[in-house]
Amino acid sequence: MGRMIPLRYPGKWSIFRLDDRMLLILMGIIVGTCSGLAAVALSRSLVILLEWTHPYRHYWWALFLPASGAMLSSLFMNNIVKEGAGHGVPEVIYSVSRYGGLLRFRSSFSRLISSCLTIGSGGSAGPEAPVVMSGAAIGSNIATFFSLNERQRITLVGCGAAGAISSIFNAPIAGMVFTVEVILGEWTALNIIPIAISSVAGTEISRLLQGNNIVFDHREFDIGFPDTLASFGLAVLCAFTAVLLTHALRGMPHHSARLPLPIWVRAAIGGAVVGVIGSFFPVVLGEGYHSIQEMIDGVYDPGFILVAVGMLAKVAATSFTLGWGGSGGIFAPALVIGSLAGLTFHRGLAFVWPSVAWVNEGCFALLGMAGLISGMLQAPLTAVFLIIEITGDYGVILPLIIVSTISSSVCQYIEPASFYLKELVDKGQLLRPGTDGRVLSDLSIQELLEKDCISVTPDMLLRDFIEIVKRSRRNHFPVEDSESGHYLGMVHLDDIRPYLFNPGMYDAVVLEQIMDRDVEVVYLDEDLTDVLQLMDEKHLFSLPVISNKRFAGMISKATLLDRYRQELRVQTCR
Amino acid sequence: MEARLLHIFRNTPLGRETLMQSIHFCKQVGATPVIYIPAFIKFLMYFENDVVQVDLDASYLVSPETAIDHVSGLMAEHGLEAGFLAPKNFTASTLPDIPSDFDFMSCPRSISDLSSKIGLGYIGPRVRRIVRSASFPVLLTSPVYKPWTSIAVFFGGSVNAFKALNLGLRIQRKTGMPLHLFTRTEGKHPRVYREAIRERRLEKALRQCGAEWHFWERGVVEENLYDVPHDALVLLGAFGHGLIRDFVFGSTMEKVQSVISNNLLIVGPAYSAGR
Repeated sequence: MGRMIPLRYPGKWSIFRLDDRMLLILMGIIVGTCSGLAAVALSRSLVILLEWTHPYRHYWWALFLPASGAMLSSLFMNNIVKEGAGHGVPEVIYSVSRYGGLLRFRSSFSRLISSCLTIGSGGSAGPEAPVVMSGAAIGSNIATFFSLNERQRITLVGCGAAGAISSIFNAPIAGMVFTVEVILGEWTALNIIPIAISSVAGTEISRLLQGNNIVFDHREFDIGFPDTLASFGLAVLCAFTAVLLTHALRGMPHHSARLPLPIWVRAAIGGAVVGVIGSFFPVVLGEGYHSIQEMIDGVYDPGFILVAVGMLAKVAATSFTLGWGGSGGIFAPALVIGSLAGLTFHRGLAFVWPSVAWVNEGCFALLGMAGLISGMLQAPLTAVFLIIEITGDYGVILPLIIVSTISSSVCQYIEPASFYLKELVDKGQLLRPGTDGRVLSDLSIQELLEKDCISVTPDMLLRDFIEIVKRSRRNHFPVEDSESGHYLGMVHLDDIRPYLFNPGMYDAVVLEQIMDRDVEVVYLDEDLTDVLQLMDEKHLFSLPVISNKRFAGMISKATLLDRYRQELRVQTCR
Repeated sequence: MEARLLHIFRNTPLGRETLMQSIHFCKQVGATPVIYIPAFIKFLMYFENDVVQVDLDASYLVSPETAIDHVSGLMAEHGLEAGFLAPKNFTASTLPDIPSDFDFMSCPRSISDLSSKIGLGYIGPRVRRIVRSASFPVLLTSPVYKPWTSIAVFFGGSVNAFKALNLGLRIQRKTGMPLHLFTRTEGKHPRVYREAIRERRLEKALRQCGAEWHFWERGVVEENLYDVPHDALVLLGAFGHGLIRDFVFGSTMEKVQSVISNNLLIVGPAYSAGR
């Protein structure tokens, strides 16, 4: 028994005691392997499910397949594992921001199953975000099992996300960059090494089990100056499409919530709509990688109008799938919509300037994918590396950078927060390390209380009060009811100044006559952000803190600044 | 600073009994009850090293329109003012985060199962997780309101047992109630336990509060527990021996809770005694 305990405390092993980098690298390998396996499991399950349903796709009732998948997915999420629908990435970011990366164990498998049901039946969603959630939860729970500290746990959450993305796309650099750019929001020497190792482990697992395949292989593109110039226009189109998709995805749940129906029925309705759209535009069904390959190869048949309408149909199908209760991510739909946008733009260019020797339309499909991803996630580096790795083509790097950065900037101008972060930013819950919000959220009023105030009672004579003032180092004196102990108000030294040089008043004035009952107060459970705002608005330097009607202490800007600096140093490792 | 007790209110007669236990506890130890009336069927509690999702039994959401009145009425009856908890943070739109920085939490033996399951010998999985992870002690209330008039601490010499004893002494000082110490000697001489107390310098505190120490040197646990006053608040440590020993030999907490119907104040391994 005595030997079992240290196994769960690897941080105490002599090999790791001096420096935890080796420990994190070891854990990164474990987490990357597990999250890679989770990604492969989902990927293989999807293939099996799609192959299984494929023979039935031509039947009329096949349009109800997405409805049944979304319904089962919703029932599974709400009634069996009791989690909300959605892709889970904001939940991972929220957990990293607020709770040191703590994630539930059930999250390590729940979205794998639910998204498999949704996507495998034809729902318009992607498997990438669910595997990110799953990988992050695996990392978090491994950290919890081994009793790692908060900083180490956050690193392992990042390892899980990186391993999952690396494995599902066979793209280790994209996995790393996505994690630091989107999930963690910080790049430090301490976390990047285990995350890189985890990405390698996740990729190796994928290559071992599925082969070393480039996701979207294609022939070389001959990019000329007009194409590079045109990529500015494509970036703007992608940005507007990304904003449209973001709005559709965010607005749809409000519409569906208006229906007084159980969640699983709403999910089924959303799925049925997708089925109907899919019967006209098959490109909207499932993750859509097959269609992307066709577009990159330049063999996608539909004409300009149908491609443009198909793009809008995919936006609608994705919103109906995810906004009405289905489960899955937006990565794959964004890739499909982006490639459709690229195709639309290319065909438009070819129509307007037919004499220009444009590059093959597959190149614009590829650039469109980068534009949509960078616009939605406002993560241009992720988009650049992802597209390079999943297409295996470095030749497109210049227009790729242009499309990614411009699309991301335009989106940021229209929507300051990305799709993943918007809800958190709106609620004030995005607390990246070292930011004002994060530092304040990690401090509590309780930690800042100054308890050296001497309480007085309202019936106290001025003479007795002056004796108290003599032995106090503070200017504020809380007045409490002598029987109940409830806080009544404050006496400030300035309040007694008129009587100080008139000893005749010492036995004539009681504190009740001079106390201030209208002093601003704050409560023990209030957020420090609110307290600071109140101090700023009213130009106050200190405030009494009340708990259950009693005086708990004072909070002052001076103490706050001291603790703020200490906390900031801890968070930024300085 | 006043201690705060978290109470998850169930708007049913059983919930009323539990709330009355919480009120009695708060009045005795001078704690402030903080009541959460669930608006959603589930909530999360983030602890230092674990996150627990509590999926409530559906009866917690019964008649929300009367819940506040019921709580306020009961509290006023006992001279307390109701303080309600409104979750500020949400992990998902229907998944509020309930703070875990309280000094005590009160709940029946199960909060996720139907109330018909609640009885001796059963502690729900969520309550177990909370006890295991919480830095506060958990008050497991008896099924019906049972005001306690003495304190009984089960002391077996483990780290958690010392935490429970320290907490028992604090409550004794606060309430002035008689304190009983119960030790099952497990084949050791009582002197061993007295020595352990002496080493921790608790002998004087026990003497000052007039604690009575009872040693059970023979007999089965069920029989021994008959000596515990029926109206005592029982304090004991839980999950202090590790998973394997608890699994093989059974946990003391499990045995105790399956035999006695007293209010139990359980001190888990993550309880920080300084609170």
